[in-house]
Amino acid sequence: MGPLSVNEIISPDTNFFLAFLIGTGFGFVLEQSGFSSSRKLAGLFYGYDMVVLKVFFTGGVTALLGLLFFSLFGWIDLNMVYVNPTFLWSSIVGGLVMGAGFITGGYCPGTSFCGAAIGKIDGMIFIIGLFIGVMFFAYGYPIFETLYKSGNMGAPKISTIVGTSDGLFALILVAVALAMFYVAEWVEKRFAREEY
Amino acid sequence: MKPLHYLTLVLLLLALVIALVPQNTTRPYKLTAEQLLTEIRTGTQFVSPDEVADRIIKKDPSLQLIDVRNPREFDVFSLPGAINIPLQDILSEKNTDLLNQGTKMNIFYSNGSTEANEAWLLTRQIGYQNNYVLQGGLNYWMETIVNPQKPGTLPANDEMARYDFRKAASMALGGGSLTPVTTAPATDAGKATPGVVPVKKKKKASGGC
Repeated sequence: MGPLSVNEIISPDTNFFLAFLIGTGFGFVLEQSGFSSSRKLAGLFYGYDMVVLKVFFTGGVTALLGLLFFSLFGWIDLNMVYVNPTFLWSSIVGGLVMGAGFITGGYCPGTSFCGAAIGKIDGMIFIIGLFIGVMFFAYGYPIFETLYKSGNMGAPKISTIVGTSDGLFALILVAVALAMFYVAEWVEKRFAREEY
Repeated sequence: MKPLHYLTLVLLLLALVIALVPQNTTRPYKLTAEQLLTEIRTGTQFVSPDEVADRIIKKDPSLQLIDVRNPREFDVFSLPGAINIPLQDILSEKNTDLLNQGTKMNIFYSNGSTEANEAWLLTRQIGYQNNYVLQGGLNYWMETIVNPQKPGTLPANDEMARYDFRKAASMALGGGSLTPVTTAPATDAGKATPGVVPVKKKKKASGGC
């Protein structure tokens, strides 16, 4: 719970409890939106169901606009917000590995637990695979260490690199996201499947 | 209208507003006198010489030592990798980028800890983060790192370990050949060293899909 636990307003135990409640809520919403179906997730790659893309980009631009408006009203100081540092090469390689797992398994880590929770066997198998992957990385860390730490760019913002204001960049990103949504709608019609 | 059209309208409208209004650059975050007093009393700004030595030896890229003494003293002796920002220039605009940032750990030092603490107090009051003070200043640095004292007979294990570390650090940082700085102001010299307090760092956020 962001500012509450970092500033030690709530104890780590309370923090875990809140995380548990939020996690349960998140999982419930995921399940109810059909994300516990591996077919829905794999649909992103085959073009018959672009819900994943729409959900995540809507989430992204909503948070982006929300933070900028909060900053505008003086409710939040964006300089105080922790930004995960960017490690360029490990991000690219990690993204490819994640994508490959996504398309072959039909789940991402969160949704596999969703699937397993409602008794889907493929979800459970995916979780086993997930832990094998975690162990593989942990024990092989010396091999991956150079890659893991390569391309450290600190915590840059695209708007700073390009030299625009945060607001203008937000507008561009929203426009791009919306354009993608319309393309996604078209793709869904083009590659429609009756039953899945 | 389809839901997607509603979404388009709302998002575009909000994004247009945010693109057209000027960015809010005011800094609402400033410490009140009471908050500052609490920080001073708990001494969160102090970093022990051992930790600083450890970071210098490990060539920690996030470490930035800042010497707040005058340039003359800085030329005579400074810690490895330190830059010089005399106390009177601490608020000057050309130093803002160095002092107000989120990636490095700035550590102020002076001969004692008074001047460095003043630098910390000033920057903290205007809301800058990640600035710290070398505990006890250069004088204490000389005592602990450059010329470490062997613990008495039958030392505790951790005392011995600390001594070993300091001896090694002293060798790595070219100790022994240096004499302690003698230009320390009289007010600084006899000052008791503050208690060791762990450095608070920003906690990482975690989460994901």
